[in-house]
Amino acid sequence: MIWADYAYLIVLLPVLAAALCFFFGWRLPRGGGLIAVLATVIGLIISLGIFSEIYPVGIVQQSWHWFALFNFGILIDPLAIVMLLMVTFVVSLIHFYATEYMNGDPGMARYFAEAALFTAAMLGLVYSDNLLQFFVFWELVGLCSYLLIGYWYRKPSAAEAAKKAFLTTRVGDVLFLAGIVLLYNNLVNLGTNLIIQPGQYPLQFEVIYANIYQIPPIQLTFIAICLLGGAAGKSGQFPLHAWLPDAMEGPTTVSAMIHAATMVTAGVYLVARMFPLFYAAPYGLQLVTLVGAFTAIFAASMGLSAFDIKRVLAFSTVSQLGFMMAALGAGAVIGVLAVAVGIFHLICHSFFKALLFLDAGSVIHATNTNDMREMGGVLKYMKWTGWTMFIGSLSLAGFPLFTGFYSKDEILVVQYEYAMVVNYLPYVFLISAALLTAIYSFRMWFVTFTGDERSDYHKHESGWIMLGPLVVLAIFALLFGGIAIGPFYKYLDTNFDYYELDFQELAIIGGHVTPLEHVSEGASEGASEGASEGEEAAGEPFIIKILPILVGVGGILLAALFYFKRWKRFDPSMVSGDKDPLRKMLLKGYYQHEILTAWFAETVIYGASIILNIIDIKLVDGWLNWLSSWVLGFAGHMRKVQTGVVQNYVTALVLGIVILVVIVAIAAGVFL
Amino acid sequence: MIPVELYLMISSIVFTIGLYGLITQKNGVKLMMCIELLLNSANINLVAFSTYAPNYNGQVFALFSIALAAAEAGIGFAILIRLYRLYGTIDLDTVNAMRW
Repeated sequence: MIWADYAYLIVLLPVLAAALCFFFGWRLPRGGGLIAVLATVIGLIISLGIFSEIYPVGIVQQSWHWFALFNFGILIDPLAIVMLLMVTFVVSLIHFYATEYMNGDPGMARYFAEAALFTAAMLGLVYSDNLLQFFVFWELVGLCSYLLIGYWYRKPSAAEAAKKAFLTTRVGDVLFLAGIVLLYNNLVNLGTNLIIQPGQYPLQFEVIYANIYQIPPIQLTFIAICLLGGAAGKSGQFPLHAWLPDAMEGPTTVSAMIHAATMVTAGVYLVARMFPLFYAAPYGLQLVTLVGAFTAIFAASMGLSAFDIKRVLAFSTVSQLGFMMAALGAGAVIGVLAVAVGIFHLICHSFFKALLFLDAGSVIHATNTNDMREMGGVLKYMKWTGWTMFIGSLSLAGFPLFTGFYSKDEILVVQYEYAMVVNYLPYVFLISAALLTAIYSFRMWFVTFTGDERSDYHKHESGWIMLGPLVVLAIFALLFGGIAIGPFYKYLDTNFDYYELDFQELAIIGGHVTPLEHVSEGASEGASEGASEGEEAAGEPFIIKILPILVGVGGILLAALFYFKRWKRFDPSMVSGDKDPLRKMLLKGYYQHEILTAWFAETVIYGASIILNIIDIKLVDGWLNWLSSWVLGFAGHMRKVQTGVVQNYVTALVLGIVILVVIVAIAAGVFL
Repeated sequence: MIPVELYLMISSIVFTIGLYGLITQKNGVKLMMCIELLLNSANINLVAFSTYAPNYNGQVFALFSIALAAAEAGIGFAILIRLYRLYGTIDLDTVNAMRW
């Protein structure tokens, strides 16, 4: 375990890089970007070293006392190591790309300082071994996202977006914190029944896992809802998704980082990490599924109508995160394998979404516009960018044999199993979302890269520093899924074998009407999971098996018929004109702004706050002000006693003594 | 032998004169004199009681008290000199910087 001893460096180096860039970056070429790249690359090397040590069996645990009942520790199990590898790998490429993309920006040193800190926070979150430390890094991620989204802070819209992101995720964070407090309370209330080894702390994941079955189910559900709220805030799930599209105000590399590797995956990771708790909580996973599936279709439909190339990708991210959540939620039926399915899509998604964002950045860098309506025909000038983006879009659309196909197909399959047992709604949502995904991703590609040049934009291909990461990511977006899927599932399926967990017992608490052989199979054999997965797939109707392929390819064809010049058969206006209420609704994003901001915030909340303001000023403040003014007035009179004239003091002294003597005399009965 | 009540009467008369002066006078030097009167009225009491006691403790104590009064007068006049240099007067009514 040579490499594992240096695990702490994975977080420490980016932190150091952040400090260096912040203080000395302005003196270094390209804002000290290479320091940030180097720090993450070393992190990647260490992660690879640790991976080689703990694959296929083993975990890394390190723990230091922090204070009272809390510790500071490192836990690297299969779930954490794949996340570590993904984050360090993707972020290294993004940092490298940013050294060119951000070049010439006056705040470049600040950019790299914040980006490096962002990376450090995410990496720290990933290998935390307890929930409190997880929360600390979680908040750090939120802070850094605020700083980076508002990177161009002089731009009012960027400042707005940063504020929105911060406040929206804050709602989730408060829920998350409430969940932690609730969980902690439940664990501590167990008293001597708490299953804990010497040297362990109550909020460590191991201890949480070992004690889940002792917590009352109703409490488990509350905790699960709170944690899901936190995850929804970070991962942009339905009620708290509004900040993610606005987060496009930051530089494109920031969007790539937030959307692919570092921030939004934290929420999904939280659910995966606490999967046993969600599994044991009645209705926990059903809720996760519903939220995820609804978000998937909701965001995908908005992606269909956006014109800003980055906004299309942003909605796509929200939608794909919905897929991941739904995959985890399917654990209600398929058990712990859901973690592998969800996290596999997370990893695959991070490759092709980082690729798409960096491609979009390359296009924006060249054309100086975000609006797809002003682009068109870019492929002629940007061959590399165009074709790598083609690969990324195919992967996102789920075209057979591309990375995204494997992960998304698997999600649809497990959702079908979920549909057979629980209900059909999430499956219908997800399959429609998959169709929409294919349509909007190719609408984006066709509109941007083919057709006529619709405006006089700048035309040049980006330099090799920007193209290099694109090519590497494109290779991953092309091949990773097919190659990695088997070993990945097998590996992640063993994730919870290292803890004292009995999924059958948890299933009983959670009230899952599960065919349990799946779970026991995973526990006993583990390795044969991949094979049994194949058998299971054979049990499904043919249409379910080919439906993901159909919607993927069909969506692409449909987009081509509408937007590809040579195949064009239909015009978008044939389906919906500019006046069409549906189209208007999509363009306006389901009137969320009107409902949430204009109506709810500015009418309801504002009206309520006016009334509260009056109550506050007149009643609460009024009473207090009256009291304090009375005290002040009284004191104003009283202080006149201090005349500064010695004779007055003497007089007062003598009078006082006289009064005292008289009182004592009366008490002693002298006058009687 | 003179009865002790007479001593006490003189002592209380002196004390009252001192107290009256202390309350009514404004001049710093006069105040010092009044304080001396207060101290001396106490000394008269000490000596008077001492003659009726089988020892000299009271008289010795009176001596200490006189030495103390001398020291107090020294400090008091030093303060008055400082006051005069600062304010150009030793009228204590005008020296009231430490007030509300």
